[in-house]
Amino acid sequence: MKRWRYLLNKISWALFTIIFVIILNFFLFRILPGDPARAGVRDPRLTKENIEAIRVRYGLDKPIVNCFESLNPIKLGSCTVNPLDTQFFIYMGNLLQGDMMISFHTNRPVTEILSERLGNTILLIGAGQILAIIFGVLFGMFSAWKARTAIDYGSLTISLVAWSLPTFWLGVILLFWGSNHGMPIAGMSTPGMSSYPLLSQWGDIAKHMLLPTLTYTIVYMGEYMLIMRSSLLDVLSEDYILTAKAKGLSVFQILKDHAITNAMLPLVTIIAINLGFTVGGVIQIETVFSWPGLGMTTVEALNRRDFPVLQGAFLLIAVAVILSNLLADLAYSYLDPRVKTE
Amino acid sequence: MSQENILEVRGLKKYFEAGRPSLFSRNVPQVHAVDGVNLDLRKSEVIALVGESGCGKSTLSLLLMGLEDPTEGRITFEGRDITHLTDTQRKGLRRKIQMVFQDPYESLNPTQTIEEIVAEPLYVHKLDVSKNIVDEKVKKAMEDAGLKPAEVYLKRHPHELSGGQRQRVVIASALVLEPEIILADEPVSMLDVSIRAEIINLLAELRITRQIAVIFITHDLGSVGFFADRVAVMYLGRIVEIGTMLDVLEKPQHPYTKALLSVIPVPNPRLRHERIILQGETPNPINLPTGCRFHPRCPVAIPACKASDPALMQISKTQQAACILLVK
Amino acid sequence: MEAQIVKPTQATTRFQDFWGVFRKNYMGLVGLMMLVSAILVAIFAPVLSPYDPSSTFDVTTSDIYNPPSSTHWLGTDDAGQDVLTNFIFGARVSLTIGFFAAFISLAIGGVFGIIAGFYGGRTEEVLMRFTDIMLVIPDLPLMMVLIALTKPSIINIIIVIGALYWTTTARVVRSQTLAVKSRKFVLRARAIGAGKGHIIRHHILPLVLPILVVQAVLVVSSAVLAESTLSFLGLGDPTALSWGQMLNYAFGRGAMSTGAWWALVVPGFGIVWVVLGLTLLGQGLEQVLNPRLDTHHLMPSRPPVKSEAAKRSDEETLLEVKNLSINYVNDGHAPARAVENISFTLKKGELIGLVGESGCGKTTLMLGLLRLLPSAGQIVNGQVYFKDQELTALSETELNKVRWRGVSIVFQGAMNALNPVRTVGDQIAEAIIQHLPDFDSKNIPGRVTDLLELVGIAAEHKDQYPHQYSGGMRQRAMIAMALACNPEVVIADEPTTALDVMIQAQILELLDELRKKLGLAIVFVTHDLGVVAEMCDKVLVMYGGVTAEYAEVDTIYNMPRHPYTQELLKAFPDLTKPKKKLSSIPGYPPRLDALPSGCRFAPRCPAAFDRCRTEQPALHELAGDTHIVSCHLVEASK
Repeated sequence: MKRWRYLLNKISWALFTIIFVIILNFFLFRILPGDPARAGVRDPRLTKENIEAIRVRYGLDKPIVNCFESLNPIKLGSCTVNPLDTQFFIYMGNLLQGDMMISFHTNRPVTEILSERLGNTILLIGAGQILAIIFGVLFGMFSAWKARTAIDYGSLTISLVAWSLPTFWLGVILLFWGSNHGMPIAGMSTPGMSSYPLLSQWGDIAKHMLLPTLTYTIVYMGEYMLIMRSSLLDVLSEDYILTAKAKGLSVFQILKDHAITNAMLPLVTIIAINLGFTVGGVIQIETVFSWPGLGMTTVEALNRRDFPVLQGAFLLIAVAVILSNLLADLAYSYLDPRVKTE
Repeated sequence: MSQENILEVRGLKKYFEAGRPSLFSRNVPQVHAVDGVNLDLRKSEVIALVGESGCGKSTLSLLLMGLEDPTEGRITFEGRDITHLTDTQRKGLRRKIQMVFQDPYESLNPTQTIEEIVAEPLYVHKLDVSKNIVDEKVKKAMEDAGLKPAEVYLKRHPHELSGGQRQRVVIASALVLEPEIILADEPVSMLDVSIRAEIINLLAELRITRQIAVIFITHDLGSVGFFADRVAVMYLGRIVEIGTMLDVLEKPQHPYTKALLSVIPVPNPRLRHERIILQGETPNPINLPTGCRFHPRCPVAIPACKASDPALMQISKTQQAACILLVK
Repeated sequence: MEAQIVKPTQATTRFQDFWGVFRKNYMGLVGLMMLVSAILVAIFAPVLSPYDPSSTFDVTTSDIYNPPSSTHWLGTDDAGQDVLTNFIFGARVSLTIGFFAAFISLAIGGVFGIIAGFYGGRTEEVLMRFTDIMLVIPDLPLMMVLIALTKPSIINIIIVIGALYWTTTARVVRSQTLAVKSRKFVLRARAIGAGKGHIIRHHILPLVLPILVVQAVLVVSSAVLAESTLSFLGLGDPTALSWGQMLNYAFGRGAMSTGAWWALVVPGFGIVWVVLGLTLLGQGLEQVLNPRLDTHHLMPSRPPVKSEAAKRSDEETLLEVKNLSINYVNDGHAPARAVENISFTLKKGELIGLVGESGCGKTTLMLGLLRLLPSAGQIVNGQVYFKDQELTALSETELNKVRWRGVSIVFQGAMNALNPVRTVGDQIAEAIIQHLPDFDSKNIPGRVTDLLELVGIAAEHKDQYPHQYSGGMRQRAMIAMALACNPEVVIADEPTTALDVMIQAQILELLDELRKKLGLAIVFVTHDLGVVAEMCDKVLVMYGGVTAEYAEVDTIYNMPRHPYTQELLKAFPDLTKPKKKLSSIPGYPPRLDALPSGCRFAPRCPAAFDRCRTEQPALHELAGDTHIVSCHLVEASK
């Protein structure tokens, strides 16, 4: 009962946050003088007719919402317009149909571009996150268990240094090193690989993935290690660990059956809270290694002032983070019985 | 009202809401923390308020201090109704009723010096702006609280003092306002046995030297001897028995008081005796039992106890108890 | 509880106290030095740098990406400028942005956190919900969008970073405010009539401030990182050459392909230096302001020192402790003698009370019996016999077979002795599986139910978690767990402390019943003389780590010979003599690291004479060997 209330609470909270982000996203891109279409005017590929077509299709000639012609509060508009005939509701309607405008730069639908890139980012984050968690947890465990020994001080120092490295710089250094040692330096596959058998294509991708994943792992491993260490240190000084020891359990049994689950609880929360920052790291890594994911798309769109793509990418990233957060909350409710029972 | 009572409590109730209203029901369950308490306190009298955790004794103390607003009932101090006062109206009154808390490790701000702690009430009440008078009052209060000589302690921080000394600091900062009532909430339960007596003896001395009335809140009926004039036993938000210390300790009337007395260990193996051990735990104050609220655990309950809720009745001139078995 | 004595120290200010600890924290010191050096470089940039950064001296193509040389110590960059000069001046830009942005975010976060924490209710709900939303929105993309939509200038970057990096501060400050607010001294301040403003200024702020300082250090490092990231992504102020901007130019303009590693390494080094310095400083401050224990329960314990085995008094005894001494090793100081020369015996079905005030060594002794001491603790003398086994001579593996199977412990279950994420039944079953491998696994649930019913817990609570139990039930569950493997000796460590009197009586009754029913021998550790009088057969009174008196229970209460026992009894309220005035023992129990030189009770003893202050009394036997007293007065009277 309590568990259901907890889940319901978390899900409705996630939905509320998503709606907030959508609204923020809509207004953010209308702070610009003029409208998004006009901002893209500088792009030579857009003809006057194209722009006009976009304006009509996305209702950019309509008032923003009722009573407001634009975001300029002095210049009020008519309040009697049909609410459905305003930019805001047209935007929402289009969004519900998965339509996020058309890229100024490539003239392709934003949804199409983003869905192509999303998978690549998930691949990179997934691999990096899993490795970072595994190594972070392992080092953290050893460090806490062997607290105040050379092992502990060594891994503590390494973690603190890793934590202090700017992601992009570590990427640049690894790239520099890699380029001198025959590693691929850009993209996620060698051109022309598509004619090779599937297995060697995968091998090629794996080779391209190596350095970006390594960067990701190093940067986040340090943080997870620090959290795991301090959380496990707390758990290991708890009374129930002494009870377990008095029960005649071996050190290995105590770690496995009594310490690790409890120590993982704060880690799950931190991983969830950190997802937002993680995305920041991925953007940097993708930029350095030209990895064709959402991050690189965002930076490219930014440099080209391709606002529809930027707007779409931002929304997609934000929603993905909110959903992953929700997942982490759900995972937490499985790990901690205090959540699911009265 | 009688002339000598400085504090009168009539029908005092405090209900808390347990949780928030949900989408499905508007009715929030109520915690009946204090549920109809009557109490008189005379000048320089010591009343011990005894009960187990959850009996409402701590809520009662917060109500008397005006730190919680009562749901119902009336509190009168020196003939003046002080039940619902605004913070400004209450300010003058605060000087008259002061509190000593259970945990001397928690009730002192670790960043203040002892001098700042003891002088703080004076500054809050803007009583004496002159530094000389403040210094003098602080010194007097500290020495009355047994921190002699005061100079040794003034510049110290709480962590440099032992638990007993900290409790003395708390008492000094209460004394500096020259109160008429001190509410002491379990003032010795966190201290080692060998120093508990010194704090109790200090409070006992103050009533004589400064005519201060003391409400001594405790879970330990054993510690009220010698020091208390009267003892009130609380169970689930009510006083179930009240009388002079000797009444309650030597001829208890209510079955709950009898049980509580019987389980208090006597430090002599030759006096081991039969104990009345109540089964189960105090029911939660949300769903109160019908009738007498003690009947589900009462060893001598009769069927009638389930139906009627007994009020306090006079047993002797000085003793009252709430139990239908006492009806003659 | 009562453990400290007044330190004869001079009054110190908070800052002096803090500095005294901080200067011993190498991590924090190194961090502080790294940070200060970076700030000095930034301040004295014009003095330190070999060239003037604003001069556009003649640059030819041959000046671009020159490797380090005597004229350009760290080489030149893509514009032919001196990397060292740009590096030194870059410190100014990076640190300025870092500090100002951090200041804004701390101000926002601090105010939000304190208001939300202190006022609570609606205000808190709205503020914290808003904070939660801001927390999940990925910050870098939002920053990028905001700066792209405005104009990349130093001011804008500072504002954007400051406006987005306050969420953690707000959360941290709020939870600290909540923690401080719930402390009793705030209630006390309200009780003396202090208003909200006074409480925030005098009681909340001083305790939130240290957290805010740690947070400030961390936020500055995040802000420095954020600025460099933005600059690297091309969103920096093009007119201010920060370290991130230098990297942006180098990376974007062919440093990689020309192999100009210096143009990439040097600015990055600056960022790492500052961020690492701040991180170390933050960690160091955290350790100083929020010290945690050095040890945990799985650290390897020190092996007992082998000592010559004393002759056992009686082969019949179940548990016999002989001259046991336990020290706490204290780096650089003399070891603290926590337990010294303790002996007692326990027969089947017997109940011995181990009594003393806090800090008297009773818990150390109890843990020492099964060698469960913290890593600093070491058995330095004596033996512990359990039947025919000598526990101090066993290996850990052999000892694990005795633990719980032969001797089990009832910890203070009301506290945290049960694992919160496993069901109570599961934790009881674990002991059975561990020690009784022959036990048919099908019968384990039945056995667990039987055990719970034995201690008065209904079977339906078997699959519940500890937090669903009341304090009394947890203590009962702890007892059921201790009985799971049919041990012969049970050690009960303050099993009724922190429980209500009636629940306390229930638990004592239960223990007494079980002892009769199962023939258990019990070591009962407590500070409560009354409880001991009610239940025990024998009593060992401890003071400052040594035996004060050891005798049959009746002797202790009716013919005590040690002044400590006598005084302690006078301080204990006795309901049978309600009018009797209680007396207290002046002074405080000794601290283990500052034991008095002679008898440990001498400073508080009403009967102490000169010899007591110089010579520790021996254990004197009275009435055969059934009454042992450690006091010079007894020797004199013998």
